[in-house]
Amino acid sequence: MNLAHPTRKQPDLHGEPLLAIENLHVHYGGIEALKGVSLHVDAGEIVALVGANGAGKSTTLKAIARLVSSSGTLRYAARDLTSLNAEAAALAGISLGPEGRAIFPTLTVRENLELGAYGHRDASAMKETEADVVALFPRLGERMQQSGQTLSGGEQQMLAIGRALMARPSLLLLDEPSLGIAPKLTELIFEAISTIAKSGMTILLVEQNTRVALSASARAYVLRAGENALEGSSEDLAKRDDVRAAYLGG
Amino acid sequence: MKSARGLLVALAIALLADFTLDRVIPDSSVRQLAMLACCNMVVALSLNVINGMAGQFSIGHAGFLALGAYVAAIVASHVHLALGGGDVTFARSLIVVPASLALAALVAGAFGFLVGLPSLRLRGDYLAIVTLGFAEIVRLVIATARAGDQTWLAKLGGQTGYAGAEDAGIPLYAGPFWIIGITVLAIVVAWRLKMSGWGRSIRALREDEIAAAAVGVDPTRAKVTAFVVSAAGGGIAGGMLAIMRDGTPIVQPDSFGFQATFDAVTMVILGGSGSVSGAVVGSLIITLSVKAIELLQATDAVQALKASYESLDLNALRMMIYAALLVTLMILRPDGIFGEREIRLFSRAKRDRADSTRA
Repeated sequence: MNLAHPTRKQPDLHGEPLLAIENLHVHYGGIEALKGVSLHVDAGEIVALVGANGAGKSTTLKAIARLVSSSGTLRYAARDLTSLNAEAAALAGISLGPEGRAIFPTLTVRENLELGAYGHRDASAMKETEADVVALFPRLGERMQQSGQTLSGGEQQMLAIGRALMARPSLLLLDEPSLGIAPKLTELIFEAISTIAKSGMTILLVEQNTRVALSASARAYVLRAGENALEGSSEDLAKRDDVRAAYLGG
Repeated sequence: MKSARGLLVALAIALLADFTLDRVIPDSSVRQLAMLACCNMVVALSLNVINGMAGQFSIGHAGFLALGAYVAAIVASHVHLALGGGDVTFARSLIVVPASLALAALVAGAFGFLVGLPSLRLRGDYLAIVTLGFAEIVRLVIATARAGDQTWLAKLGGQTGYAGAEDAGIPLYAGPFWIIGITVLAIVVAWRLKMSGWGRSIRALREDEIAAAAVGVDPTRAKVTAFVVSAAGGGIAGGMLAIMRDGTPIVQPDSFGFQATFDAVTMVILGGSGSVSGAVVGSLIITLSVKAIELLQATDAVQALKASYESLDLNALRMMIYAALLVTLMILRPDGIFGEREIRLFSRAKRDRADSTRA
């Protein structure tokens, strides 16, 4: 399996990280959801973004995918991201597996996957990636003609990740892939995420389930109330009981 | 290509029908009904793009039909005149029909673009009001032009309708070849549109706009395109109605009132929103049921009833039957006859092979 084989040329980074965020602010009306978040993700890395409910994890991802507007520095592949809209960001190789498994319920599994490839629509690349996704999630292969809404929660999450992969992204953003899913399926999904990461894909993973997130990632950032609280290697953070007690809600 | 061969066969049958239909079906009202069913299919197929696939609730389709009908009628009349008048021949229809319908599609499509713009900001009821307003404006602008004025608008005949250049009647060039041929083509195009990347993208947009944007679908472009495609299709359908053989040689604004939109919406919802098969079947049912109810009204029993009760309104009877039919269907099948499913003419193996070669 070779999931990190974008149709597009690998972006030229000029020595910058693939994704670099500096002092990112996002407002929802009068509420400041992000108060200066900074982080970076190097090409080929898997980085986790953890924190308690409302810490701004999902908002950070939405800002990167350009689904919310933001201020501060947001650079992707050595270029400014803030001037792009969501469609353009997707076409530039940023692929989001949205929170709450936002699949297209009345479309079939196959149609959902093919929509993921909307940006390149290269038939042979599409078939190839589809085969990779099916190898990763055999359950999807069995349900190609079913409509998305007939899938179980875990299967819908697989579909959401599969759809994100279909774009052959350079940067994969995953928003709470374990949310509301049975522990057994969570395990399956995180095994798949590890497989994707091993193939060389750059992943930024948002999770409330700190234990699985830290074990799946190499580095992690801890957010608290819209600000950076801690960062470090996932292994170290996982060992520190005080971190979990103080920032991650137990 | 199997489907291309099928299309050629269908066109050959349509061509044959053009020369033989009046002998096969001697009753002109039955011929008219068959042609009307075809036109209505195109009406439903085009409305299905915006109401079914894109999930935008437009109730202004009659406006596009009206634009298409008037444009086609004007073009057909003037081209006919320019060709020297006289008989309506098949050879001439090869020029007149494509010209009229292409222009009808162009004008309706352009208005579709204008009406589509507010759809970016409006949803549900609000968009419905805008589209309804558009259709009523089109109808009323045409209907209220005073006859006798020298403006170009008055030449459309106002309330009495447009009866061709110099009131000679609209030359009815679109014979069965054109009507059946365009309908078959419309079904194929609608099918391909639904299954194309663009079709998937507007259906995705209907389900979840944010998720669609996140996979790279441009909501603005997709929605406006859906409106333009739907309107252009409506324009063609209106044009077909205006110049179809065995139709009436006059177009009137009242044919494009709310009832026309309502019928079109019913066809789509009855068949199943978003389903091409549904639009075809729904339009057939509505066309035939209108005719069936007319026949019922003409029966002796109903006429006797009418004779004994002076105040009985037979049109109200029609609406009652219509309503009962719809309510029953919506109870039995709330998503319409087909839902969003399709009748598959090809086996799954074939389809999968087609999938693997599809771009």
